[in-house]
Amino acid sequence: MDAGLLGQYVVNGAMLGMMYALVALGFTLFFGVLDVIQFAHGDVVTAGAFAGLATALALSAAGVRSDAALLVAVALAAILSMAALGVALARALVLPLRSAPPLNVLLVTLMAGTVLRECIRLFFPNGSQPHRFPALLPSGAFVLGGLTLRHDNLLMLGAGVLLVVGMHLLIRRTRLGLAIRAVAQDEETARTMGIDFERIVLVTFAIGSGLAAVAGTMHGLYYNEVNFGSGLLLGVIGFSAAIIGGLGNIYGAILGGFVFAALQTLGAAALPFASAYKDVFAFAVVIVLMTIRPTGLIGERVSERV
Amino acid sequence: MTGPLLSVRGLTRRFGGVVALDGLSFELEPGRILGLIGPNGSGKTTFFNVLTGVYRAHAGELRFAGRPVTNLPPQAIYELGITRTFQRSRLCLTLTVFDNVALGNHRRLEHGLAFNVLRRRALGREFEAMRAAVCELLAIFDAPLAERLEEPVAGIPMIDRRRIEICRALASRPRLLLLDEPSAGMTPEETRRLMDDILEVRRRLGDLGIVLVEHEMSAIERATDRCVVLDYGRKLAEGTYAEVAADPRVKQAYLGLA
Amino acid sequence: MTPAAAPAANASSRPPAAAAIALAAAVAALAFTFLHAESQAAVGWIAASSVAAVLAAARLGALRWASRGALARERTTSVALAAGLAALVLAFHDDHFTLLLLARVLLVATACLGLHVQFGMAGVVNFAGAAFFGIGSYTAAVLAGRTSVPHVAVLAAAGALAALVGSVLLLPLLRTRGHYAALITIAFGIGFRTFLEVNDALGGPQGLNVAGFSLLGFSFNENWTVRGVEVSFYVAYVALAFLLLGGAFAVVRRLETSWIGLALDAVRLDETAAASFGVRVPRWKIGAFTLGNFVTGVAGALSAMMTGYIAPNAFTFQESLVFVSIVLLGGIGNAWGLLLATFLVVVVPEKLQAIQEYRFLLFASLVVLVLVFRPSGLVPRALRRRFGEAP
Repeated sequence: MDAGLLGQYVVNGAMLGMMYALVALGFTLFFGVLDVIQFAHGDVVTAGAFAGLATALALSAAGVRSDAALLVAVALAAILSMAALGVALARALVLPLRSAPPLNVLLVTLMAGTVLRECIRLFFPNGSQPHRFPALLPSGAFVLGGLTLRHDNLLMLGAGVLLVVGMHLLIRRTRLGLAIRAVAQDEETARTMGIDFERIVLVTFAIGSGLAAVAGTMHGLYYNEVNFGSGLLLGVIGFSAAIIGGLGNIYGAILGGFVFAALQTLGAAALPFASAYKDVFAFAVVIVLMTIRPTGLIGERVSERV
Repeated sequence: MTGPLLSVRGLTRRFGGVVALDGLSFELEPGRILGLIGPNGSGKTTFFNVLTGVYRAHAGELRFAGRPVTNLPPQAIYELGITRTFQRSRLCLTLTVFDNVALGNHRRLEHGLAFNVLRRRALGREFEAMRAAVCELLAIFDAPLAERLEEPVAGIPMIDRRRIEICRALASRPRLLLLDEPSAGMTPEETRRLMDDILEVRRRLGDLGIVLVEHEMSAIERATDRCVVLDYGRKLAEGTYAEVAADPRVKQAYLGLA
Repeated sequence: MTPAAAPAANASSRPPAAAAIALAAAVAALAFTFLHAESQAAVGWIAASSVAAVLAAARLGALRWASRGALARERTTSVALAAGLAALVLAFHDDHFTLLLLARVLLVATACLGLHVQFGMAGVVNFAGAAFFGIGSYTAAVLAGRTSVPHVAVLAAAGALAALVGSVLLLPLLRTRGHYAALITIAFGIGFRTFLEVNDALGGPQGLNVAGFSLLGFSFNENWTVRGVEVSFYVAYVALAFLLLGGAFAVVRRLETSWIGLALDAVRLDETAAASFGVRVPRWKIGAFTLGNFVTGVAGALSAMMTGYIAPNAFTFQESLVFVSIVLLGGIGNAWGLLLATFLVVVVPEKLQAIQEYRFLLFASLVVLVLVFRPSGLVPRALRRRFGEAP
């Protein structure tokens, strides 16, 4: 395999990994603070992309030409609207069902995700068709030997890295992060320490959903297209990635995202005649992984009081 | 039967850096009631969990009626005749009183697919027999409880739930019964009554050995033949209640007196 | 202290059979008006008024009386409902569309009973119900018509293959709990559909034709004429589907009211406590998962032979979610409720064509509402009774 092709695979894998990592971060954050799986998260990614698209279309129609301005507007619109959506979902569905069996929250959010997906399909103009997402990043590329590195990919990867580092700093170095970690560790103790439990949970959902919006925007920019149904698969992949790394573990989620992307890329490379099998391959490996290490590679701290 | 019913030697269990059981050793004779006492966190429930196979032992040996039983799975421990109650009441709340107690006799219930689906009359007879047995058990502790066989446990008050849980543990006529703080939440009067009922049970099931974890010292005094005092997973003292109550080391551990 | 007398199951104090018959008759009549309605406006009116009628009946306590009575005399209820079904078949004897719909209801209910055994009884969530249904369908497609295997054996083989493929997931399912276990079947469901589409040997995305069912030389796909009256060939399928559902339902109810049901309940509710009392948790989970997949596979096979054509896009994760929705709407663990939910989920979108497009949205929203406000399901769940207990 020549350097160019290898480079392609690597960059593609890195982009996918970054997107999956951002989605997985959301899953793991939500699990961390509430021990729940918010399965509408994948569809929040798509909704974010569509929110961004709608903003871009509206502003373009209003005469805005600057790509940079559009990009900022798209990102902001996506992030803010999805943060709000995440908070709404938490308020309406997740917090009230906290005392129900945990599977109920998974089920109710799974269904809510379907509602979200169908709403996009039915109510966005021509929702069932894929829509072109505007190319708002600078085109052009670096060429190093046989390797072509596109500027837009590098920018997105860079933005992703910044976000990941930002998350790390947020969790480890800020009071908010400390509060989140406290809530994730033990709700009651956190409350007695004066932490406003509900507020922290809602903030966490806002952050996670904002990250999803970024992932959605990236997805749109990378593929130049958005599709109402892509959220389902993305959600399952994000969930798998979070599980690979161990639910509740932020670094595990990031690792898991890249592991899954690597599996997919490996599958596609190894089976060039049936690259559609890459998903089957990746999921099969995830199932095997979970059989060997039921609580993830890095492992979740599980303790059941007997 | 000669020899101790239960023999514990050097039992050790760690949780990360915490040593919950530290070389614990003691014996229980058949037909005797042993009190297991100690401050919170001294390893009493952990001992039950290791004995019943919920946790693995990291070192040491357990023998039941002479057989080595260390690290057997919970189902095997049950088959040998060791049953328990849980510190945090673990009944299936959406099931009826009857269901919960009958579950205790799972071993004796017929589970073949053909039997349960096709031989319904025989199944009905088994149910009737089980109902009678469950009523008899419940009546030992509280006669009105036997009237409430078909109620979901969720609607039963806590005290009665503890009694139901003990009945569940007795349903299979075990040889060793492990009781984990059965009188938690009871008034002294109710505790006294419970201990009397436990003694009654021991009277009926001749060679039933009981290990009783309790915080209520009057209960220990009333019901037990001997006591073992735990402190940080180690045996601190052993003897009758009067002996351990007078032991200065025990007083130190519990009350911090020099 | 003297032991109290065991309260015996008192046969003479059971509610009269009238309640059971009344309920079955009401259900059949309602189904008839629903199926008979032609225009969508009519269907809408019927739907609205039946909801109102049910609410009124609930208010008046009539609903409780009827359901108590029906549950106390399940055999009577079953016979009465079977009679109701027969009446419906008679009424629609030449209506292909309605009979096909009825058969579909029966087969989807059977498939969902499989999920009920897995989830409602043993607590093993299965998000790949449509995949196992599809395995059954594809088995039928390959065996029936393309080989000389008798069709009854084809049905059995389809169930067996579904159970066999499902057993691949057993090890991961047993090793994981809760959310992790959920991912296993989700991943399998998605992977299965991809597998079907990529696999040209199984027709690829275009799908496969499936031969119709035939029994001892008698083909189910030909219309009959009874004394000059044309009868739709779907009647045979309805009959066979009813036999499948009836058999599966009887087995499920008997399991629920037996020691096996108790063991499964214990596994579902508290594995640790169950293990402490000798319940071999892995064995029960394996049994429930396997049995459930078998039932779903058989239903899939007959469904394929009935419709004559299958394609991968019928066995998607979305369709699995529809199955899960049915189980949830009926009330987790409520086999009778499952029947009602299946009827609603399958029939309503077909009759109200206007909402066909919106059906995923509507079901998902309905399930969300149910889970938030009424987690026990649309039908009030009777406490799980064992043998001989009063409801």
